Amino acid sequence: MSAPTLARRFVAAAVLCLGGAGVQAQVPNANYAIDPTHTFVNYEVAHFGTSTNRGRFDKKEGTVVFDRAAKTGKVEVMFELGSVSTGVAAMDKHLQSPDFFDTAKFPTAKFVGDKFVFAGDKVTEVVGNLTLRDKTMPVTLKALNFNCYMNPMFKREVCGGDFETTIKRSQWGVNYGLQFGIPDDVRLEIQIEAIKQ
Amino acid sequence: MKSVLVGAVAAAAALAAAAQPAVYVLDPQHSFVSFEVLHFGTSTLRGRFGPLNGAVTIDRAARTGTVSLRIDTSSVSTGLPAFDARLRQSDLLASEAHPQAYFVSTRFRFDGDAVAAVNGEFTLRDVSQGLELRALRFGCHTHPQLRREVCGGDFEGEIKRGDFGASFGMPFIANRVRLVVQVEGIRQ
Repeated sequence: MSAPTLARRFVAAAVLCLGGAGVQAQVPNANYAIDPTHTFVNYEVAHFGTSTNRGRFDKKEGTVVFDRAAKTGKVEVMFELGSVSTGVAAMDKHLQSPDFFDTAKFPTAKFVGDKFVFAGDKVTEVVGNLTLRDKTMPVTLKALNFNCYMNPMFKREVCGGDFETTIKRSQWGVNYGLQFGIPDDVRLEIQIEAIKQ
Repeated sequence: MKSVLVGAVAAAAALAAAAQPAVYVLDPQHSFVSFEVLHFGTSTLRGRFGPLNGAVTIDRAARTGTVSLRIDTSSVSTGLPAFDARLRQSDLLASEAHPQAYFVSTRFRFDGDAVAAVNGEFTLRDVSQGLELRALRFGCHTHPQLRREVCGGDFEGEIKRGDFGASFGMPFIANRVRLVVQVEGIRQ
């Protein structure tokens, strides 16, 4: 399902709920669809204490419900783990194997953030849950940048930013190499932009 | 007297050995340049070039080093093939006319035994400018399979892409580009 389709369903569901409550059919939250061209998860893992290995997930979809006035929001993003890209084909293949993501069994990872922390009208943190390999654990994303702007091509408001967090991969059962020094800590760098629907 | 002589000979031999610069060839699995550019003042666009080709020499006793590396500009990878194709066009990387970018340096700054910064010249689209790459971390380890010394680290630097003529989309897509370089070299 494409991101706009998901967004439309969400809007439809919201309108239906309101209708049921006898309120005017008006969407209370600003609804945004994730712009997949400006939404990526990059990760960083230290390599033998020497340099940093990086990778990225290329296929994703999701939606954001965001209300600056009410200071609330909800984000749902799903990533295809088979789209991992490191620049080294053998590494991508190993990451997809049961040693790491086991994409045959667990093709996607999902982040659902339902608590948005604000400073003024800027989002500073998103608190939620990350599901990977069928395990769901809490994660807090910290905003490094957050902004909304009028995009001249879409002629719509776009909100987004850069978020980061460091997770321990063993919490999701990704334990390969821990005993021979591949670190448990994985830093996630998340770029996200979402277009007002 | 004899022991002093032996000591002097041993010291001279040690010096001679230390004065040999060690040569490292870049490991294609762990040598990439990532770039970061701010998009509409909102979020950070990222992409990757690599693997990098090249060699590094380090003389830890003399605190000197050299690096010479090539970057295939068409290897740019953002995760979006349409984006990559746009980046290769003439108002950005101009990959057809300028298939390679280069970084060369003969000025290494050390902090103790570790490389702290590398000052050199970066060439993109045939324009050369000074570039300092600062080490965020630097270290050496013995590779368990290769049983050879591997030295490397993470370096960061900054360019203004407009200075190189890669100016499409400014100022909505920033002029300032942060470069994050992962590099590991295998001792020869």
